Amino acid sequence: MLSRIEAEAKLKTLFGLEKFHDNQWNAIENIFQGKRVLLIEKTGFGKSLCYQFPATQFKGITVIFSPLIALMRDQIKKLNTLNISAQCINSEQTDEENQSIIEQAKQGKIKILYIAPERQENNEWIEATRAMNLSMVVVDEAHCISVWGHDFRPAFRRIINLVKLLPTNFPVLATTATATKRVEDDILKQVGGNITCIRGNLLRDNFHLRTVKVDSEDEKLAWLGATINQIPGNGIIYTGTRVNTEIYSRWFEHLGISSIAYNAGLDGELRKEIENGLLDNRWKCVISTNALGMGIDKHDIRFIVHTQIPASPIHYYQEIGRAGRDGKPTYLILFFTPDDVQLPKAFINTARPSAEKYERVIAALKKEPLGERDFMRVTNLKTTQVRVIKADLLDQNIIREVSYGKQRKYEFQFNAPKLSTTSFEKLREAKLNELDKMLEYVETKSCRMSFLRNYLSDAHTESCGKCDNDVQKSIKVHYTDEWKEKVEAFHSSYFPALEIEDAKTNLVNGVAASYYGATNIGSIIHKCKYENGGDFPNSLVKQTLRAFKKYFSKETFDLILYVPPTESGNLVKHFAEKISVALVIPLSHNLVKTKQTQPQKIFQNSYLKHDNVAGTFNYTKPNEETENPFC
Amino acid sequence: MILSSEISFWIALTQIPRWGNVKVNTLLQMIFEKEKIGLEDFFSRSVQEWKEKFGLSEVDCENFTAAKNELPNYSFIAEDLLSQGFEIIPITSSDYSSTLKENLNPLNAPPLLYIKGNKKILQESSLAIVGSRDASEISLQFTDKIARLASKQYKVVVSGFAKGVDKQALDSSLKYKGQSIIVLPQGISTFGSGITKYYSQIIEGDVLVLSTFFPKSPWSVQLAMARNPIIYGLAKEIYVAESGNEGGTWSGVLDGLRKKRNIFVRKPEAIEKNANNILIQKGAIAVDFDGNSIPFQYEEIEQKQLVFAEPKNISKETKYPQQENLFK
Repeated sequence: MLSRIEAEAKLKTLFGLEKFHDNQWNAIENIFQGKRVLLIEKTGFGKSLCYQFPATQFKGITVIFSPLIALMRDQIKKLNTLNISAQCINSEQTDEENQSIIEQAKQGKIKILYIAPERQENNEWIEATRAMNLSMVVVDEAHCISVWGHDFRPAFRRIINLVKLLPTNFPVLATTATATKRVEDDILKQVGGNITCIRGNLLRDNFHLRTVKVDSEDEKLAWLGATINQIPGNGIIYTGTRVNTEIYSRWFEHLGISSIAYNAGLDGELRKEIENGLLDNRWKCVISTNALGMGIDKHDIRFIVHTQIPASPIHYYQEIGRAGRDGKPTYLILFFTPDDVQLPKAFINTARPSAEKYERVIAALKKEPLGERDFMRVTNLKTTQVRVIKADLLDQNIIREVSYGKQRKYEFQFNAPKLSTTSFEKLREAKLNELDKMLEYVETKSCRMSFLRNYLSDAHTESCGKCDNDVQKSIKVHYTDEWKEKVEAFHSSYFPALEIEDAKTNLVNGVAASYYGATNIGSIIHKCKYENGGDFPNSLVKQTLRAFKKYFSKETFDLILYVPPTESGNLVKHFAEKISVALVIPLSHNLVKTKQTQPQKIFQNSYLKHDNVAGTFNYTKPNEETENPFC
Repeated sequence: MILSSEISFWIALTQIPRWGNVKVNTLLQMIFEKEKIGLEDFFSRSVQEWKEKFGLSEVDCENFTAAKNELPNYSFIAEDLLSQGFEIIPITSSDYSSTLKENLNPLNAPPLLYIKGNKKILQESSLAIVGSRDASEISLQFTDKIARLASKQYKVVVSGFAKGVDKQALDSSLKYKGQSIIVLPQGISTFGSGITKYYSQIIEGDVLVLSTFFPKSPWSVQLAMARNPIIYGLAKEIYVAESGNEGGTWSGVLDGLRKKRNIFVRKPEAIEKNANNILIQKGAIAVDFDGNSIPFQYEEIEQKQLVFAEPKNISKETKYPQQENLFK
């Protein structure tokens, strides 16, 4: 085995680095001895070197399970510049690319292979592993193993099962930047065997933590509008929802502040483009859900603003942890209004569907093995619910995921245990407690950094001397009339985009009058439709005409069609008539349904909604007179 | 119960080139009974110890070293199998069929069983119904009748999932609400269509699917032949509906007779053209078609045996070392 001196000589030639930190060497030494290691160290510590260096010394290939595609890309780029052969297999690459990499791995041409945990479900991958010379397995972001962590991912279940099956003298490294004692214990228990835990200190001494209490969402908009350009450098604004990424970025656009919205709903290429733009400081800030930033190797994120409180102090530490890796002063600003607690609370309380829905899935799978799509059709459940139910049933060994040729299906198990919901209830309680802890963070009068470190079971929790409590300076928001007017003007001229263009349709993008709940428009429509409120009021017509004027006034229109009703009578027809009169565009009544459909709202997922209306619309007079009857 | 970290060692052991069951089991005996260590421990010993203590040859040691390097690879395969609901039962496990061990003589028993379904069926009293793929109607009716009797007496029907008699045995057993073991002529993970077909019986615990081959092995004639002794081995009683004078059933029965198994062959009608009578002459026990007069009444069978049992051609009988309660 290499001594530290010998290893550091190699480190110099291979990586251009002088020496290891003590904890790095400690981890590496254990790995060389064929041990299992859990390494808990803050972002920027150099966790990846703890497997990259041993990987260069092993004969065979090191496989790293990582949930973060962005991180894979960054690491590979870096390793390749050091002439270390590294590749990744993930869903963003084509099948051909992935296959050619697997081929190289089988031929022993790759030292380090990054791979998404979901790949363990792929037959070709499993088949290929048989021909590889495996030297080490790394589980990156190991907190994803634990349901008590902030980012549990069911795909990691299989990775843990794999680790349990590996020979006990086969080196395994699990790494994470964020694990409470409970998560640490859970990981140790799950990985099992003779595992050593190495835990570093979590102090980020360049962090200036701030909490800003406001009375409304609009005050957040106003303060950021007035202040964001005064914060040095570039950064990220995390909002709680995808919709808010859009609203905030439109607000900044309205004010002429450079920003861009990012969320997991964007397509892969655009996301990659924005990630690159973030690296190049192309915008003052990227406004994002917490989908952005994990694993992005950017050292100079100067600020992170949260417009919505995260679900726990561990979420918060993890998300701000992405900033200030270069050690220079970095601002972390957390907004809070008492209403903010509703969103995470709702997430926690609705995280698990009702037991009846679980039973519905179980009953369907007792009849026949089904793929995910099939059982969405059979059970009429939402995609998100189906995924949660599936993961829980797999976890409780009630069902199994089985490959049928290329397809994956789910089978009920002989002798399956009964569904247990007690664990769901325990988990819900734990999450609510964590949320309370986050509220405690907002209210704390003592050092914020030490509060977070303490929460994360750091052994040392001395004061940081930089947070608002330590320096005794807090940010106060003065919501002036000037800014109130600006915010109101923004709301009345902002129409959410309806982006539906793609290769499969000749429909074009449009706009909506409002997001449901963002203004009173949603409740007006609800009243008319379901509470005998009569026709849609003129205010709705006016808002629609404003949107039309803003986006489509230069287009020429032949006709207005309206969607024929299922059960709402002539509401839409009358509305269309008013619009037709106001815009002086002829109205056609010839878009009809060829058969009775069900109201779309009774269907919980897109497959069933699609099945409900597919092929039922017919435009009966495609050649109808389009001359303007008003002339 | 097998330790999860040991599964890959078991798979590795059964993948050593040119090592048959006897060789593997003899080594297992030394590991578990003589040295009283585990498989993982054995693999961690030095080459010198392998040679001296366990009598491995130079070539064996090379193969075992190679197998040792492949252990992580087998872990990937094992994880995939287990996550799909397959189970792996080693010969040392209490879940392993004691009938199979007894009948094959422990040293010949397959070291690993890959299964899906209700493994408790392996401990039940059992009978096999075997016969040609293109069996006559009368043979199929006989099969149906035996399956019905088996179901009445809570005996598990073992069959080989081939056309003809095998398929009839399985379907009849399920028709009469009995339990069945399907012994595959292929690796267990290549049996998707069969699992779909018998899905509800599998999840209700009435069907157990079993294979002794590497999970991904496709069907082949060799595997089909190698599967026959497993069918015979898993059954306490063997019923032959119809046999030609060559092929799987024929050689399976002869093999069974050599091992001194009681094999019940349907006494054919005079007009039938099959080799049932020849098997009876060779020592199998004749049974008639009519359910009333035949099975399970051992006295009567023994009387018939007196009439027919003039076993010839069993000179090739293998001498097995007598060892009881192996791996317990």
